[in-house]
Amino acid sequence: MSGSGVDWRLLLMLPPKRRFEAEELARAIPEPPSRELSLAVALNIAFMVVGFTLAFGRQHWPVLLVLLLALGAGTAWGLHAVWRDPGNRVVRTVYYLGPLLCGVVAGLGVGPLALPRDTALALLVASLASVLCLWFAMVYRHRYVLMRLAELDERDRAVEMARRLAAAQIQPHFLFNSLATLQHWVAEKDDRALPMLEALNGYLRATLPLFDRARLPLSDEVAAVRRYLQVMQMRLGERLLVEVDIDEAALRLEIPPGLLLTLTENAVEHGVAPSLRPVTVQIRARREGPGWLLQVADDGAGLLPADGGVAPGLGLANTRLRLLQAFGEAASLSLDGGPGWGCTVRILIPDHAGTHA
Amino acid sequence: MITTGLIADDEEAPRAQLLAALSRVWPELRVDAVCTHGVDAWDAFLEFDPQVCFLDIRMPGMSGIEVARRIQGRSQVVFVTAHGDHALAAFDAGAVDYVLKPVDDARLGQAVERVRLRLQQPAGPATGELQQLLEQLAAQARRPPQLEVIQAGVGREVRLIRVEDVIFFESDARYTRVVHRSDGQDGEALIRTPLKELLTQLDPQRFWQVHRSVIVAQRHVASAVRVDDGNMHLVLRGRPERLPVSRHFQGLFRPQ
Repeated sequence: MSGSGVDWRLLLMLPPKRRFEAEELARAIPEPPSRELSLAVALNIAFMVVGFTLAFGRQHWPVLLVLLLALGAGTAWGLHAVWRDPGNRVVRTVYYLGPLLCGVVAGLGVGPLALPRDTALALLVASLASVLCLWFAMVYRHRYVLMRLAELDERDRAVEMARRLAAAQIQPHFLFNSLATLQHWVAEKDDRALPMLEALNGYLRATLPLFDRARLPLSDEVAAVRRYLQVMQMRLGERLLVEVDIDEAALRLEIPPGLLLTLTENAVEHGVAPSLRPVTVQIRARREGPGWLLQVADDGAGLLPADGGVAPGLGLANTRLRLLQAFGEAASLSLDGGPGWGCTVRILIPDHAGTHA
Repeated sequence: MITTGLIADDEEAPRAQLLAALSRVWPELRVDAVCTHGVDAWDAFLEFDPQVCFLDIRMPGMSGIEVARRIQGRSQVVFVTAHGDHALAAFDAGAVDYVLKPVDDARLGQAVERVRLRLQQPAGPATGELQQLLEQLAAQARRPPQLEVIQAGVGREVRLIRVEDVIFFESDARYTRVVHRSDGQDGEALIRTPLKELLTQLDPQRFWQVHRSVIVAQRHVASAVRVDDGNMHLVLRGRPERLPVSRHFQGLFRPQ
């Protein structure tokens, strides 16, 4: 667990250091051990008890049997406890005292009980075996819980991502505002109603299946972005200027869906909408070094030092996470701008990045 | 009886739609000002003093919430917003009047009915509560960056005036006059930025709007003098000007 160094605790056969909280245990181990497992362990212990008694009991077998039964029962209880909680306090304490107990048991055998040497030795071996079993169980279960918790965290993150994506994709505010414009134009028999409907329809058709796939070609993404900008331009009029400059060869680039769209929505939402002057939103894709540059820039309201809003941070954090999932550490996202200076988001995707993913 | 109104929405179609719907639902309403953003709306409020304001929430310059906060209950406010606005939950809890876009006549009619009832009984109830809610919502919102330096063209040079040096701003027909005292020396400059836009970029604690066309640095005010029933003016420290305080802002100056 300790990175590159030697794990002395493991080497010295000490129980794992970390102990789990009750909630963590409940999460990682929701159920008691299965009946089969319990039965298998019980049978093994029973066989060992009987075998040891038969092999080393001789005339003292009732004493040995009782002692071994007690030891077996203790071990069974300990294993069960460790299965439920690898850091069980009683088991740990007994384990720390293990060598002492073994000595006591053996000494008890040779001394007051006056057992023969090999019978006492059998008792010692059985005690050591029991202690060893507990140690294995503690280490194994500890690892299991750690990995299970990591796995569950990963799963929760994936679920959370899906939820956020779904939320990002619906954008009720955008939809209803667009519908408000459309409704008015239809009622007034304005000629702009039809193109607006077409653009909105195209946007919805492009975005709804967008999020089903893990990757999609940039050409599809750009089509959705263009539709979105078309709708916004119709709504905002001359307040929104658009420049789209996509390198032909970049259109085949495969990217996580919604990547550019989220950034474009951010640019409109936080760059254009709050600005009193017309703002240009610029979308670019071109070769840069050994990879591709995707860029969304606006010359609008710009980044604010302490942004109280939830949405921009969320959108950006999402985008970062999705880049990481799709391309690993190779891809990067940088943000540039300041109050009144607009905002530029640059994504660099190296060639062959994440092809293994 | 005619009621005067103001509407503000930064998008053309919803604005026109609201206007059309209001003319059907409330024919007695005379809309004096149709504004395209929050800065405009606040300025128009000061100019026309409407009895009721229909405000979009997300607007450039100043949000509908911010405009309503400044109105301070001196006019009935109905918010007009689309689904998905963060403020909606707070509105429901605080019994604020709002209609959703696209606006439908029936829902707008209900809001109008409530406003009319309240207009009949001038002592508006729960204004304090509403104001508190608006203060809260406004505090959560993004604030435009604060201005630190004003760049004013004077002849061939561009003079950089620190905002903290400014004594007052006064809007002229086409310019904004900036009167400042830098390094003990009084000076004046004209800038093109309208006063109503400057307002959102100044610290409201230090710079007080006292008139539709005047913003004054509070620390340079020596006294406020009531001239007669409706009029008040400000005496400045070391300046001869007397700045008018319009009725809306006279509440700022009260003995403690």
